[in-house]
Amino acid sequence: MSTANANVTLFDDEFLKKLEYLNIISKRLFAGQNRAERRTRRRGTGLEFADYRQYVPGDDFRHLDWKAYLRLNRLILKLFEEEEDLPIYFFVDSSQSMNYGQPTKLDYARRVAAALCYIGLANLDRVNVISFADGVKAELPPQRGKGRIFKIFRFLTDMAPNGETDARSSFKTYCTETRRRGLAVVISDFFDGHGFAGALDILRHFRHDIFVVHIASHEEIDPGLRGELLLVDAESNATREITITPSLLTAYRAEYAKYCEAVESYCGKYQLGYVRTTTDFPFEELVLKVFRQGRFLK
Amino acid sequence: MTFLALSPLQAALLVILTGGTIVALYFLKLRHRRVVVSSSILWRRVLDEQQLHSLWEKLRWILSIVIAVTIALLIALALARPEAESLTGKNERIVIVLDTSPTMNTQTSDGRTRWQRAVDNAKGLLDGGGPTTEFRVIDTAGATATGFTTDRNEVRKLIGEMSPKTADPQFPRVDGKDSQVYFISDGVTIHNTPSFVKRISVFEAANNVGITAFEIRSIPSTPLGYEAYLEVQNFGQTAEVGITVSGAGGQRINKTALLATGESYRDVFDLSQFGGGGIRAAVQTKDDALPLDDVAFAYLPVKRKTRTLLVTKGNNSLETLLKLDNYVDLTVTDPANYRESPTIDAYIFDRFAPASAPARPALIIGAPNAPWLKPSTGEVTKPEITTWSEDHPVMQFVSVHDLSIERAASIDAGGLTVIAASKETPLIVVSEKPKWVMLTFDLGSSDFPFHVGFPVFIENVLAWFNREQLALKRSPGIVDVPLSNAQIRTIDGKIIPSDQQLGKTVFQTNDPGLYAATQGDQRVHVAVNLANPAFSDVNRSVFKTDKAFAEQHYWLRRELWFYMLIAALALISVEWFTYHRRITL
Repeated sequence: MSTANANVTLFDDEFLKKLEYLNIISKRLFAGQNRAERRTRRRGTGLEFADYRQYVPGDDFRHLDWKAYLRLNRLILKLFEEEEDLPIYFFVDSSQSMNYGQPTKLDYARRVAAALCYIGLANLDRVNVISFADGVKAELPPQRGKGRIFKIFRFLTDMAPNGETDARSSFKTYCTETRRRGLAVVISDFFDGHGFAGALDILRHFRHDIFVVHIASHEEIDPGLRGELLLVDAESNATREITITPSLLTAYRAEYAKYCEAVESYCGKYQLGYVRTTTDFPFEELVLKVFRQGRFLK
Repeated sequence: MTFLALSPLQAALLVILTGGTIVALYFLKLRHRRVVVSSSILWRRVLDEQQLHSLWEKLRWILSIVIAVTIALLIALALARPEAESLTGKNERIVIVLDTSPTMNTQTSDGRTRWQRAVDNAKGLLDGGGPTTEFRVIDTAGATATGFTTDRNEVRKLIGEMSPKTADPQFPRVDGKDSQVYFISDGVTIHNTPSFVKRISVFEAANNVGITAFEIRSIPSTPLGYEAYLEVQNFGQTAEVGITVSGAGGQRINKTALLATGESYRDVFDLSQFGGGGIRAAVQTKDDALPLDDVAFAYLPVKRKTRTLLVTKGNNSLETLLKLDNYVDLTVTDPANYRESPTIDAYIFDRFAPASAPARPALIIGAPNAPWLKPSTGEVTKPEITTWSEDHPVMQFVSVHDLSIERAASIDAGGLTVIAASKETPLIVVSEKPKWVMLTFDLGSSDFPFHVGFPVFIENVLAWFNREQLALKRSPGIVDVPLSNAQIRTIDGKIIPSDQQLGKTVFQTNDPGLYAATQGDQRVHVAVNLANPAFSDVNRSVFKTDKAFAEQHYWLRRELWFYMLIAALALISVEWFTYHRRITL
């Protein structure tokens, strides 16, 4: 698919209106829970009281709780939560397999990523977008503030589908270079010859909070294939002659369901957020579904 | 298994070629449609898993080939017309001879007829034969004789169209060397058959009272007097028989007779009170099995006077004789005053002949010279009559063996019918067309006028000229009438189809009746009656018991190729079904 066309069709005015709508809806849904600031486990100079601890030499006198000293005759230090922005990493699968379906899975992934990025930017989070296939193909540096959305659009639009999927290698490469933990949103079809679990294990290993958006196309779920076929793998160009029989189709459908079930089970096992969708499902509904999972916005 | 259309070598080659071709076609690579999928990971898994069932996959492959080869072989071998004796029976020939005697119309206790039983038996033979069995059907009337055929429907149709026909049944000439010959009969009319013939009986004893003779004959002593002779015989159990003789004018004679088994009733009925026309005799009795012989027909000539012109120079004996005849309206004239008249029915020329033939029939006495008559070539003295034709209507009841003739003219009788002659010399000749009778001798030079047969002769001549004749007697079946191009009608006016054979008109009828054959102004009546004790005696069968026919049935009723094509069609349907459901490849 040409990127020029994608730019026009994916992120037009109507799309922007939808993003704004999603932003409003998300605020209404999660009002009182989240603000621009994120609480961290770090104790720092924030306004929110966190805990007490014994004073040790070198501590800032300004945080001593004098009232407690008068009552207990002990020097007790008040601790406050450190407030900082949340890094969100959008790993968008741009392998050749994503260039499949009508609309393509990559187009759908772009829209979902764009929507989530917009909401993240609106919440003053640091949004990182990474395009990966058999490695990190492109990386957008951290963006903050709604004004950066067009830069993200451009990045997503320029994303071209090619290469085989090797998420494990891609994530490993990225995580070893990227320093801060954050929310990792993986948008992929998870057709990974090396296995999806190893890739997600990497993200878990680096203690990212993980949210999985599993994209499928209707043609994959229920392929309307018949007859004597030469199947060509879009990523590897590997071919295989097969005769499509009803039983074979049934077996394929069962295998696909089994595969999706495996991804979901993995996510459930490690308490990862997981949403599966098809490309014909309205992406705005999907975004709201992501919110409802309560993992994207804390 | 043998093949009717191919030699064993050809059949083997056909099997090898067909099988080889189909297998070769199966191994040809199909051009696969190229389809790009997002990932073949899942497809690989599915296929790898399916390869675990590779035995089934191989079986599917083999099954597909086997089905295809089987279909091709079935079609190919069907063309070779295979034959398996164990299934279809050996290639045999069966000749079915059906007895079409009139007695086959006899009704049986179940209300059907012997003929219907025979038809059932014949169809049983057809059903019992193998698919390749050839059949031939012949009747005993000589009317039906097919060639050998395996087409049962054709044979069955033909049998359905047959019926008892003729009064003269004969066993046909059939060859028993290569064929099985079955004769389905009641055994009444045909008793002797060749030894190789297997006889199937449809006989069942039945009661029958039939007319075995019925005819009208003239009374020699009474001009235009007729009487009817009737003979009825009982061939069943003792029965009371009602006998009726009825005429066209409503006249009726009824009689009753009690006839024991085998007893006959004979009677002569005076028909002087009957007007002319058809006469019907009928018998009525209970439980009569053969209606065909319960009626008989005859024809009573219509009585009327013949307007006769006697042209003579003087012949008292002849003139007196004619004047005494109640059925002759006589006019006498001498040759000088002779004028042909349209009101005259017949002429008698005594020692005279006009220059041209009259329009009406004539009796010429004395062989005078005339252009339309045979010229005299000489004279014969004291000729003795050596031959005469009693069968000719003119000579009926006339005895001329002791006739004494002084002189007679000698004529060339070519083209004429000689009904009395002295060795080579014709004495009485007849011309059929124009109709005339000539005596080559003068009455005065013979003692013929003094013979008792002379008035009968004159009466016969006048009757032959103008009066209606008694009906010809014929039996049911092919009926011939001695008239060419005649139209045949029943007594109630219905036209019967007829043919011309050897100058005669021929028609077919299976029912007794009175028929009229008309050609121009000529009219002949034909009385068709069974009237034959050989047919009425329906219990005179050679079969002692009603032998049941053991039918032989084969498993298959048609040739194998038919079933092979059906099987091929079924397999194609199965293949189509399984292919579209990917059960077979």
